[in-house]
Amino acid sequence: MKKIKWTFMTLAIVLGIGGAFATAPRLPQDCQAATQYYYNGTYVLAGKLGVNYICVTPSSSVCTYYKVGSTYTPCMTGVYCTSNCKASNPSPKKAKN
Amino acid sequence: MDKQKVALEGIVALLILLFLYASVSKILDFDRFIGEMNNQPFPNSWTPFLVWAIPSLEIAIALALMIERTRMAGLIASLVLMTLFTLYTGSVLLHFFAYVPCSCGGVIRKLSWPQHMVFNLFFVALSIIGIILQRKKFFISTFIKEKTFT
Repeated sequence: MKKIKWTFMTLAIVLGIGGAFATAPRLPQDCQAATQYYYNGTYVLAGKLGVNYICVTPSSSVCTYYKVGSTYTPCMTGVYCTSNCKASNPSPKKAKN
Repeated sequence: MDKQKVALEGIVALLILLFLYASVSKILDFDRFIGEMNNQPFPNSWTPFLVWAIPSLEIAIALALMIERTRMAGLIASLVLMTLFTLYTGSVLLHFFAYVPCSCGGVIRKLSWPQHMVFNLFFVALSIIGIILQRKKFFISTFIKEKTFT
C-alpha cells in the first residue's frame, strides 16, 4: 500500500511542477521585456501589462505585438482589454470566439 | 477495503497535482496573473493580497494532502476552495459580471467557462469522495486500535 501511495504522490508532484514549467509561456516572457503594441488599424503603444491593459483569455487572437527591427511580431495572445474593459466588453459567451 | 485505499490515494494525488500545477503556473506567469486579478470584479486594492494568498493557499493545501496527519484538513480545505471557485464560475456563467478573465494557471486558463464549471465540479466531487473515504479509513483504524487494546 505504501508503495502505491508513494508512486501516486511522486507522480502528482513531478507532473504538477513539471507540467507547470512545461506549459509556462516562454515566448511571451521574452518578448514582454520589449515595448508592447496593440493593433487598432495601426500599431499603438499598449502600455504596461496589469496596469494599463490585460490580455483576456481564452482567445487565440493576438493581444500585443513587439517590434523586431521594423516588423511587429505577435507577443501575447488574448483579447486586448484596458482596465475599464469590464463594462464595455462583450459577454463571456461572445468572448469565446 | 484495499480498493478504497487505492482510490483515496488516487484522489489525493489528483488534488495535489491540480493545486501544485495551478500554483506553480501562476507564479511562473506572475505578471499576467496580477493583470488578470486587477480585472476581477472586486477592488484592485485586494490584488496585492490575493496574488500571494491564492498560490500560497494552493501550495499549503497540496502540502497538507501529502502529510497523513493533515490530510483530512487538506481535503476539507480543497473542498472549500474548489466550491468557492465553482460558485465564482457559476456567477460568471449566470452573467453576474459583465466580463471576467480567467485567473487560472497554465493550460487551465484555456478552458471556456462552461468547461471550467465541469472541471471545478469534478474536483469538488473528488474532494467530497476523498473526505468520505478518509473518514472511513480513520474510523476503521481507530476501531482496530480499540480492538487491539481491549
